[in-house]
Amino acid sequence: MNWFGKFIHWILNSKFRKLIVILLTILAFAGSMVMITSEVVKAKMLPGKSDNTFSVYIDTPTGSSKQQTMLVSQCVIDKLKMEDEVLNMALFLGNGIPMDYAGLVKGAGMKGSENVAELSVNLTDKQTRVEPSFLMVQRLRPIIKQACEPIIKDTVVKFIEQPAGPPTLASIVVEVMGDDHTKLRELAVETAAILQKTDTLVDIDIMADDIFDKYEIIPNKEKIARSALSVKQVNQIIYLAFEGMVIAHKNSYNEPEQVNIFLVLDDKTKTIRESSIEALRSKLTSLNLMNQMGMMVPLSEVVDIKKAPSSPMIMHKDLHRMINVIAETDMESQVYPLIDARAQMVEYFSQKYEVESDLTLTTYMFDIYLTDKETGEKYLLRWDGEMKVTLDTFRDLGAAFIAALVLIFLLLVIYYKSFALSGIVLLGSFLSIIGVIVGHWLADLVTRDTFFLTATSLIGFIALMGISSRNSLLLIDFAKSLMEARGMPKRKAIAVSSATRAKPIMLTAIAIMLGSALLASDPIFGGLGVALIFGTVAAVFVSLIFVPILMDNSKSMDIDDEIASHHDKSNISITR
Amino acid sequence: MIKYQPKDFAGKLAKTFMNSPLTALLGISLLLLGFLSLQIMPREEDPQIAISGGAIIVPMPGATPQEIENIIVNPLERKMREIKGVNHIYGMAMDNVGIVNVMYKIGERREDANLKMYDKVMQNMDMLPKGTMQPLIKPFDIDIDIPIVTMAFYPKSGTTVNHEKLFKITRELQHKLNAIDSVAKTTLKGGHKPQFNIQVDLSKLTGYHLSLGQIMQAVQSIAVDVPSVKGRTKTNELVVFGVKNAIESVDDVRSVIVAQYMGSPIYLKDVATVERSIDIQNFKSAYIIHKEKYGAEPSQLKEQVTLTVAKLAGTNAVNVANSVTELLEAHSDELAKEGIGYIITRNYGERANAAVNELVHHLVLTIIIIAIMLIFFLGFKESMIVTFTVPAILAITLFVAYLTDQTINRITLFAFLLSLGLLVDAAIIVIENIHRHLHAHDVNDKEMDELLIEATDEIGAPTNIATLAIILTMVPMAFVGDMMGSFMQPIPYNVPVALIASLFIAYIFTPYLSLKLLKKPKQKNRGGH
Repeated sequence: MNWFGKFIHWILNSKFRKLIVILLTILAFAGSMVMITSEVVKAKMLPGKSDNTFSVYIDTPTGSSKQQTMLVSQCVIDKLKMEDEVLNMALFLGNGIPMDYAGLVKGAGMKGSENVAELSVNLTDKQTRVEPSFLMVQRLRPIIKQACEPIIKDTVVKFIEQPAGPPTLASIVVEVMGDDHTKLRELAVETAAILQKTDTLVDIDIMADDIFDKYEIIPNKEKIARSALSVKQVNQIIYLAFEGMVIAHKNSYNEPEQVNIFLVLDDKTKTIRESSIEALRSKLTSLNLMNQMGMMVPLSEVVDIKKAPSSPMIMHKDLHRMINVIAETDMESQVYPLIDARAQMVEYFSQKYEVESDLTLTTYMFDIYLTDKETGEKYLLRWDGEMKVTLDTFRDLGAAFIAALVLIFLLLVIYYKSFALSGIVLLGSFLSIIGVIVGHWLADLVTRDTFFLTATSLIGFIALMGISSRNSLLLIDFAKSLMEARGMPKRKAIAVSSATRAKPIMLTAIAIMLGSALLASDPIFGGLGVALIFGTVAAVFVSLIFVPILMDNSKSMDIDDEIASHHDKSNISITR
Repeated sequence: MIKYQPKDFAGKLAKTFMNSPLTALLGISLLLLGFLSLQIMPREEDPQIAISGGAIIVPMPGATPQEIENIIVNPLERKMREIKGVNHIYGMAMDNVGIVNVMYKIGERREDANLKMYDKVMQNMDMLPKGTMQPLIKPFDIDIDIPIVTMAFYPKSGTTVNHEKLFKITRELQHKLNAIDSVAKTTLKGGHKPQFNIQVDLSKLTGYHLSLGQIMQAVQSIAVDVPSVKGRTKTNELVVFGVKNAIESVDDVRSVIVAQYMGSPIYLKDVATVERSIDIQNFKSAYIIHKEKYGAEPSQLKEQVTLTVAKLAGTNAVNVANSVTELLEAHSDELAKEGIGYIITRNYGERANAAVNELVHHLVLTIIIIAIMLIFFLGFKESMIVTFTVPAILAITLFVAYLTDQTINRITLFAFLLSLGLLVDAAIIVIENIHRHLHAHDVNDKEMDELLIEATDEIGAPTNIATLAIILTMVPMAFVGDMMGSFMQPIPYNVPVALIASLFIAYIFTPYLSLKLLKKPKQKNRGGH
């Protein structure tokens, strides 16, 4: 027996020393749990990914012209072109950039109006660039928002980074649901205001059309009839004059396609002096219509003009009326600002509404149910977006983890035919979580930005379960055969087997740690690398020191003398 | 003769393959298969996620959002709700148009999903209110919708290329790109079609006492195409003649007579500016700004046309992107002569290749590190034996992945990296046990091959159970739902395969190679107990 075997034997021989090891283990476990609850180690689905590109979405308020949108875009471009790392930028005015994963769920493909623009920014190669794209975005965001958003009031400039994993609409999405459309808009504005006040939340946007002033031209039926005109004629002339129409086309042998002939008023004469009823009326006066008798009738004679608010788009989700309020997180997990903002909302809305929460353990557990104290109308604030995906993923991975535990337990019960021994192996492998959490804390200490506990960390932890259960397995197997074949006393057998198995356990552990070392520097798989490295360290300690104690205390390790004496000794070779 | 009777399949495998000449052949062919798979498997950056769904667009000119909501969006949403497998339905009621977006649950087969959506709309065509136009059904197709290469064409500074020419040339290039293998959809963004623009001066119109309607009619009356007419001669020969298109050039449009005023004709050019240019009513446009190199002075913001190229599903992004850039390269002189420059603004092929190569590089580096570590603990030859098993295991896993139609992407390689730490274990445990037996007291009593089989067989049972335990931890991950689940899918698919392969390789090749490479330690013989 080498020094390690003697050390184990020394611990096993005293109840007090065993108790101390058990207490230390419990302490370490409790300590790592506190790290999670006290937000020392923060959880997030996937960390930011440095990329060679990001995009900027520019949304001027509904009803803005392409020239106004261009003005804001120009400002954004002017700021960005000063950056050395920016190689080129492609601006798409009035539509989205060529579809990418981020745009797929953010509805970029549906864009097609004068008040939108998207800018795709290509950076130098990430291998040679010092500043990761996510830090660059974090640095530029406030500068650009401050300079460019005030150009046109209510403009929203959003920075879109390539997602590390599956794309979502936004980090934080609040779906405001209810029946009354105007009330929904109010609620959405209030929700957005609360999000705006929450730390680390940026790019807040209400995904609804802005209401702007619009002029309704109402054809006066009687006057139209008396002037021998038709309403159709009136509609057509207005559209033709200001929007223009393709009135004919020509085919030609030397053209790749049909050439349209387009008719419209020229820019000079089409310009309306200002946005008012009078200006519009005076413009319409100069537009003439020819009636059936060949007489010219000024358009303004046969129509009335009225000012009215525009009617905004109505959004539905799963048959309910809804308005989305979205926000992005600025280098932070979406979990913590969400909890802050939610508390704020509950407090704010309880003045006017009865606030209820759904406390059942579902992935909708953050939802807020509102009932108007006066009218009794019901509204729902539902959290979606990356948060929902995170909760779903962590729930599913958690379930996968529990399923893995059960499966391993069953396998061990079949193999050992003992619940206690299987329990020991399982407990031993579960304790590797100490290493995972402490590892994340250490990684967070040495890295510049926050090192999150991510979905990949969880995958690493699940894989660790198998690895550390194997350690315990080999240990128990070996100790048992020592006792059966050599008739060694239990305590000594355990000590010898820990000493003998220490080498292969250490070897495989080092292999895993070295294998994961390169992963640890990867932005996405870093969590897995760290989980594997530090989890394995914990697993080695647990299986070589803690598990022997449990084995010693367990009665299932004792064997019948009868079986031992009849056992075929030649099959087991004990060499040390 | 080998007296030892193996109890576990570990020992049985070791015994069967120990002295077979086919073992070496098997090893070589495994490595070859793996190498071939690595070369021919399609590469991409992210794994493919089966997102199915689509948009149903129903235009109804003149209707307000409220009207659209009541008569189009609500009934349509109810009908879509009847489809099995639909996850979310988003409705949008706007001025003049209603849109219903249908999102299926992740993993729903795209063809079935699309068919069900078409079917539902077609079945209920009779319920559409009067005044609506034909509904448009647009299914999502990620592979086709997300371009892997985009390039911007712009007029070089100092040249006089107009937009029409730029558009025409990019259009011709688009046609050539579409002919490349595995290229799916190509689109042009920011392009403007040529058009004859008639911009009427309102004051002149009033001066000549004309209305816009008259101008429209005048142009329409001469812009007609007539098919050729056949006449016959007395001898029944055909005489073919046709009316030539009255409008051939922009001058033809200019000289359209719109009215007679005081006996003299008023031409269109008298009341309007007529020119051949681009479709001015199309507000969608694209611009580019670029630098020659890092830190250089940025260029002016210029109008551009972006050409996007998508690939067919399951094809190699790297190859397609390479073919596209090669074709561009071949035309670059031609383009430069015309005064057109281009920039590749997106190249997913390059990114996929870089990501894959980086991870392959990591894999190799990790294997070397582990090999060096093992030299210290076990010795050079033992370390080499374990190191050989790694490519063999990865080769099997790659080949199985290839057979199951997977692609090489970040997540597959990530699964390999994850399994790397696990899959050397079986071989390490076997070789460590062999090592231990070789240095045991009774080493001289046994033949080398018997000793190897015994050493392998001894640790068989616990290693099998332990590997099975790790596989069991991975299996439930296959049932993680939603997008994240399908994103991670390569892990539960590939790690268990790698682990099972690691068992077989460890049991077959470790004793085989040990027999070839390892010798019983000499000092034991000389020492003579």
